Amino acid sequence: MITLKEVWKIFSPDPQATLSAARQDDIDGKTLKQQSATIAVRNVDLAVTPGELLCVMGLSGCGKSTLIRLVNRLLTPTSGQVLIGDSDIGRLNTAQLRRLRSQDIGMVFQSHGLIGHLSVRDNVALPLEIQRIPRHQREDRADELLQRTGLGGLGDRNVSSLSGGMQQRVGLARALAADPGILLMDEPFSALDPLIRRELQDEFGRLSRDLGKTTLFITHDVEEAFRIADRVALMRAGRIVQLGKPQELVDAPADDYVARFVEPYRTTPEQPPLRMVQ
Amino acid sequence: MTAVGMETDVSTTERSDAIRQFSGRGSQYYVQAFHRIGEGRGRIGSFNPAAALLGPIWFGARRLWAAFWPILVIELLAWIVISVGLSGGANRESLQRADRLATLAESRQAQAAAATQRDPESAMTQSLAESAAALTKERDEAYAAADRASSSAWQILLLGIGGLVIVRAGVGIVATPLLERRFRTWRLLGDSAPTGLSLRGAIAATALMALVVPISALGFSGHLMPALASVPANPDWHSMTAAFLDGAMKTFSEQVAPAAGVMTGTINGALWLMETLLAATPWPVVMTIILALAWQIAGFRVFLLTVVALAYLALLGFWDKSMQTVALLGTAALISIGLGIPLGIACGYHRRLARLVRPALDFMQTMPAFVYLIPVIALFGIGKPSGIIATVFFGIPPVVRLTALGISNVPENVREAATAFGATRAFLLFRVDLPIAMPSIMAGVSQTILMCLSMVVIASLIGAPGLGEDVLRALQYAAQGQGLLAGLAILVCAVVLDRIVQGKAAR
Ligand SMILES: Nc1ncnc2c1ncn2[C@@H]1O[C@H](COP(=O)(O)OP(=O)(O)O)[C@@H](O)[C@H]1O
Ligand SMILES: [Mg+2]
Repeated sequence: MITLKEVWKIFSPDPQATLSAARQDDIDGKTLKQQSATIAVRNVDLAVTPGELLCVMGLSGCGKSTLIRLVNRLLTPTSGQVLIGDSDIGRLNTAQLRRLRSQDIGMVFQSHGLIGHLSVRDNVALPLEIQRIPRHQREDRADELLQRTGLGGLGDRNVSSLSGGMQQRVGLARALAADPGILLMDEPFSALDPLIRRELQDEFGRLSRDLGKTTLFITHDVEEAFRIADRVALMRAGRIVQLGKPQELVDAPADDYVARFVEPYRTTPEQPPLRMVQ
Repeated sequence: MTAVGMETDVSTTERSDAIRQFSGRGSQYYVQAFHRIGEGRGRIGSFNPAAALLGPIWFGARRLWAAFWPILVIELLAWIVISVGLSGGANRESLQRADRLATLAESRQAQAAAATQRDPESAMTQSLAESAAALTKERDEAYAAADRASSSAWQILLLGIGGLVIVRAGVGIVATPLLERRFRTWRLLGDSAPTGLSLRGAIAATALMALVVPISALGFSGHLMPALASVPANPDWHSMTAAFLDGAMKTFSEQVAPAAGVMTGTINGALWLMETLLAATPWPVVMTIILALAWQIAGFRVFLLTVVALAYLALLGFWDKSMQTVALLGTAALISIGLGIPLGIACGYHRRLARLVRPALDFMQTMPAFVYLIPVIALFGIGKPSGIIATVFFGIPPVVRLTALGISNVPENVREAATAFGATRAFLLFRVDLPIAMPSIMAGVSQTILMCLSMVVIASLIGAPGLGEDVLRALQYAAQGQGLLAGLAILVCAVVLDRIVQGKAAR
């Protein structure tokens, strides 16, 4: 269970000042630019229920990556609370936070972030190595996961010799290595070509449900979101503009922006299609 | 008229207005000339009489400073040649020399005459007479040369004037195209950018010309007043500052003497260890170990190279000295690496620290080694520790720089991923950053070793024994063969060390 309560994230030399101005709706684009401030996440409330796969969708630059990094505190919120289960992660000390990251949360990145000089097996076993689990045990676990993600027998290869799709599988295996309850996926398949992307989406959807992980999945692709998500949150300029089941977004879009996003899934097109670049 | 034609017309008028605004004076000429250049009929026919007439001043007025400076220098040369020609060319100098010779010859003749009266047969008289005759002959030749030179003064003057004309002609040809280029950038920058005419520029250029050309001309024709001819140095200031630095250095070295003693002790300890290993241990043992290491670490080819190198050192009698050298400079290299890698890591993590350290490293690498021998000797006296400290100063920059570069080039996403899985700072450093930065760090290590070995001769100047002494001695006695052999021995040591260390990096 992941819960975000009134979470803000502001990149600025003086975030608190920007925050209090923004709270009173007392700030416009020009002032923000002058203060070289960006409100990346703006007053977000969100709950991912246990075992659910929730997709956060939105255009590039709308704050998705920032949002997901607040969940495991790679970024600290300017204001608001993030809870994992019942515990407020803002109250954890460094050691507790480290334990949370290594045992309870697995993360997959768009630019996989694998360590080039290590073998595939060592990369997958990284979270276990950080937990100081003995070598034999963690290698067995890594091999098991490699089998599971369709990489059986590649354990001794160098990661940099693999294709993009394969590397993303390694990233997924690494995220699953410590058997965490929570998965954070930041556009994991966006950089792959369409065929491989589809294949991985299907596999991942199955795997995630089989394993019963609570998953927060970021994407800029409606098709991807609708393919795998239980619920979808649509983000725009740091805000969540609508949250619901895919069908709900199609049937009752909250505004024009949502409508244009789900346009391909509507039977009668009314609006010109949305451009994916801003 | 077609729509396209109209549009072209409008844009032409607009462009002409812009050219007028940009060029200020002579705008009619520039509108036409820029138009020609735009149509690709540029250089021919765009001769700029104003630029040719005014030379550098025109370029100053037009804010073309990048062209102003080279043109000023070339013109200055022409003006100098002209002034030399006007003042009689080389004639003046050769005339002066001839006059000097004449006085000399006269006094020698007088001496010879006096000697003849005293003792016509003596050897002294004879040699005086010979010398007088030679001087007289030289004097005559000098006068002849002065005559020739004065006739060539005309040629020099003509050469100068011709040069000036050619420079001005060239200036007139390149001026308009250069201004046109400036015009295009001006258009890009918009109206607020400075235009192509500046009164202040013209004044500055004129003032510069007025200062530079007459003074140079006077200087070369020998009419410059003494105050301008020699640089107004104040020797008192120099000696005062030097004396102050002497005092400061002395106080400082007294202050830090205890710390310096500790450092010397530590270095001596490390050095003793290295010397025992390399120089005191019987040679067959050392040689076998080096060869075995080369094979294991760097492979068969480096092993072969090492065999040849060690054979050279042993058979030509350099063994003991080269082991001493390697012990000394190896200690220095180890200290450099031991201090340099942590410092480099810190610089890689902290930008501010890196900004502080970089100028210090530049300073250490640029300052000639001889200069920092002075404070090192003041602090640590003459001997091996001083040699090592000076070598560390010189050798440490590459390993610091390349370590910092390697660390700061670690991809942020890899670091972020490891952090997301709970990595500690130590884990990040030892399992992520250092391995990824390793190639860069090893390149730094290798460069540091080579830099340290290159200090061998300078270190031997302050009493460090080894191959450097041989080179020094060869320099003193101009013994070329010996010097070459010793130099080659140093090279051999450096190459073997570097290959073995690099071999480790390659695995
Ligand atoms: N470290 C940072 N410093 C300043 N601005 C940032 C930083 N990280 C992200 N931003 C800004 O925050 C906004 C949201 O970025 P991000 O969350 O990466 O968007 P998305 O992942 O949806 O493409 C962008 O405007 C981005 O420029
Ligand atoms: Mg992103």
